[in-house]
Order: sequence, then structure tokens, then C-alpha cells
Amino acid sequence: MTRAPHRSVVRLGALVGVAGALGLTACAPESSAGAAGGEEFADGTYSAEGSYSTPETVETILVTVTLADGVIADVEVEGSPQRPESEQYQGQFIGGIADEVVGKPIDDLMVSRVAGSSLTSGGFNQAIERIRVEASEAAG
Amino acid sequence: MSVWRFEAIGAPWEIETSAPLPTAARSAVEGVIAEFDAAWSRFRDDSPVAALARGAGSVPAPPDTGDLFATYSALSDATDGAVNPLVGASLESLGYDASYSFAASGPVSAPGDWRDRVRFDGGRLTLAEPALIDVGAIGKGRLVDLVAAIVAQHVRGDVIVDASGDLAVRGRSVRIGLEHPFDPNRAIGVWTVTDAALCASATNRRAWGDGLHHVLDARTGEPVRAVTATWAVAQTAMRADAIATALFFDGGARLAHEWGVQWVRMLTDGRVEWSPGCGAEVFRTTASVEP
Repeated sequence: MTRAPHRSVVRLGALVGVAGALGLTACAPESSAGAAGGEEFADGTYSAEGSYSTPETVETILVTVTLADGVIADVEVEGSPQRPESEQYQGQFIGGIADEVVGKPIDDLMVSRVAGSSLTSGGFNQAIERIRVEASEAAG
Repeated sequence: MSVWRFEAIGAPWEIETSAPLPTAARSAVEGVIAEFDAAWSRFRDDSPVAALARGAGSVPAPPDTGDLFATYSALSDATDGAVNPLVGASLESLGYDASYSFAASGPVSAPGDWRDRVRFDGGRLTLAEPALIDVGAIGKGRLVDLVAAIVAQHVRGDVIVDASGDLAVRGRSVRIGLEHPFDPNRAIGVWTVTDAALCASATNRRAWGDGLHHVLDARTGEPVRAVTATWAVAQTAMRADAIATALFFDGGARLAHEWGVQWVRMLTDGRVEWSPGCGAEVFRTTASVEP
């Protein structure tokens, strides 16, 4: 008995290893018709695709879970990162990832400089303003 | 501290020194900036870059040609061609042209075989076919290095060259806020930089609507979408600038590792990543850190 796929895309997080682990706990219960915890699951093999972003690529993995007597009997994660670097993202080249950051008011930080995108100067700003005006006139 | 403010190559600059810069030093700084702009600006029609785009074929190679193209070569290799010095036409096609028309006419990819088309030898820069060179990924960083070197020749003590997004710090430590790309009144972290360069890149300014901004993937001519802001600290501003660009693409983190460059980047979904051993303080919620 095979049902696949249940959900075309499951957001699994940033890392392959973490994605595999999270994906199973999160995906297996939910995959049974959106059932809440505690509900019984029909035996069978369930597959779902997960995706996660790397810079400029979206990698997908296929997670297959086999349920027998209502418990997970087998798990398979088919990951084929499209680029080899993705496999190494979580150690060698990236030191850490935060899902969320807090933007603190710059005035409170006692910094002497701020670095972001280049401030833009006269010509660029004027041109942007011109486009705004043209766009609003066109809309009106 | 004494601060000299001026505008150059389309951005505000500040040079901070312990004593006021003498007139001779200011003239030298203005000279090197003018020379660099005259050589590499794609916004002026008297530059060698413009001549090559019109089909001049070959021009006397400006100073910095070797270093700039060697760095582009490393960037191109590391990012599988996403960074490319012939991306000028792609930028123009999206509307970022000399007249700032911002009239987008669709994405155009840059020639993937750029290395076969660009030759630098015998003091000449030669293009096999007309193309528009754009050194935007590293040019400002290079210029910051040149300016910092001149300033250090003229005054003793601490020096900060801040070219708005690209900074060189000589001597003392400087605490620098990492501007939140979605809110310029806030920072997502601070980085204390000592005797090094910090370069930042982000897609929020130099953007002209509908997802169009100045960081393009040369392979497609499309603006990047996965990463929204990057910061890198290296010994030279050119290398920091190079990594700040490379981090928008797959392969950037690897090149940073090879060069020993530390970095932080923010993805468009709000996540923030940093390099192993990164010295920046990122304001993260503890619960959200993995692993």
C-alpha cells in the first residue's frame, strides 16, 4: 500500500541533517490527513518532498516513512543536493544559523559606524524619485 | 578626531583621522579617486571601459587591471560563474545604466566564457568582442584600499576610510553596527573591527522596484533573491568586498573559508548565518539558534 506524495512541499529547515530529523517528527503525524496527535495512522509507505534554500538554489529531499502497526518501521531520506557544497553547509563553511534576529535600534548601540548597503547619492535618488512620480502619474 | 566628508563614485565618503588631513593629502586622495573613476566607470563615456563597450578592442590597461581581474577570476570560479566582470550589459538591461533610466527591458545573462574574451598582457586590456565591463563587485573595496594607503602616508595614527558600506580601519578598534536590511534605524548585530576592512552589501538600496536591484546573477541576469545582506571582514577592503558579493551565491562561503575571511549574511526569509569563528555579535533569539 503506497500513498505518495501527501504534501508536495514540507518546509524542513535549513540543514540536511536537521531537516531529516525534524521532517520525520513533523511530517509523519501531519501527513495522515492533518490528524492531530494521538490519532491512528494507516499502515503504509508515505513520501513527502521537502525543500530548503541555499543561496541561489533550492534543494529538495524526499522523505519516505513506512508505518507498520501504527509505528514507524522504516525511514528513508533521499537527499541529492544539487551542488556538492550543500552537503558541507553545516560545518566547514557556516558557523551558525539563527532563524530569527532582533533588530536593535542603532541609537542604543553605541556604535560609531553603521554598515549596510551603500548610501545612494544625488543622481540615483533623483532618478528613483522621477520614476515614482512617473509611476504615480501613470497610475492616476 | 577629524572627519573629512565628500562624495565620490556615487556615494558619500568619510575619512576620519586623528589630525586634520593636510591639503596635499586631500589632493592625493582626490587624485586617486578621479583616476580610478576615469578608468573604470561605466557611467562616463570617456572611460576605457566605455571605449571597449563601443568596440575599441584594446585599450591601455589602467592600474589595478591585474589585481581586479585576478580577483574576478577567483570569484567566478568559486560561484560557478555567478560573478562575472562582463555583467555591465546585464545591469544596463535591467535599467541600471549611465542615465539612471531604470527602465527594465528584461534579464540578459553575461558571457559565461568571459575569460576567453578578456586579455590582459603587455600593458593592454583587450576584449575579443565589445562588452561592458563592470567592476562593481570589488571596485569600491579596491578604491578604499588605495585611499587608505594614501592617507596613511600623510598622517600618523588611526585612520578610518568609510565609503558608505565599505570601510577600512587602520589602528584603533571601531564598533560597527550591521544595518538591518529591512529597517535602516536598526542593526542586527555589531562587529568590532581592528586594523582590517569591513565591507557590506545589501539589496535594499540601489533598488528600483519590482524586485530589481544591483546584485545580479550573471548566469541569468536576474537579481538575486535568496540573500538580502552580507558583511565580510578581511585584511583588504577589496577581498572583503569580493566576499560580500560572493556570499549572495552558492560557493561564497567556501571561498571565504579559503581566504580566511569572516562574514555574516541575512537571507530574505529573515534567517542569519555567520562563518565559523565569526567575531561579530549577532542579535539572535537564543531559542532560534541551530545547532
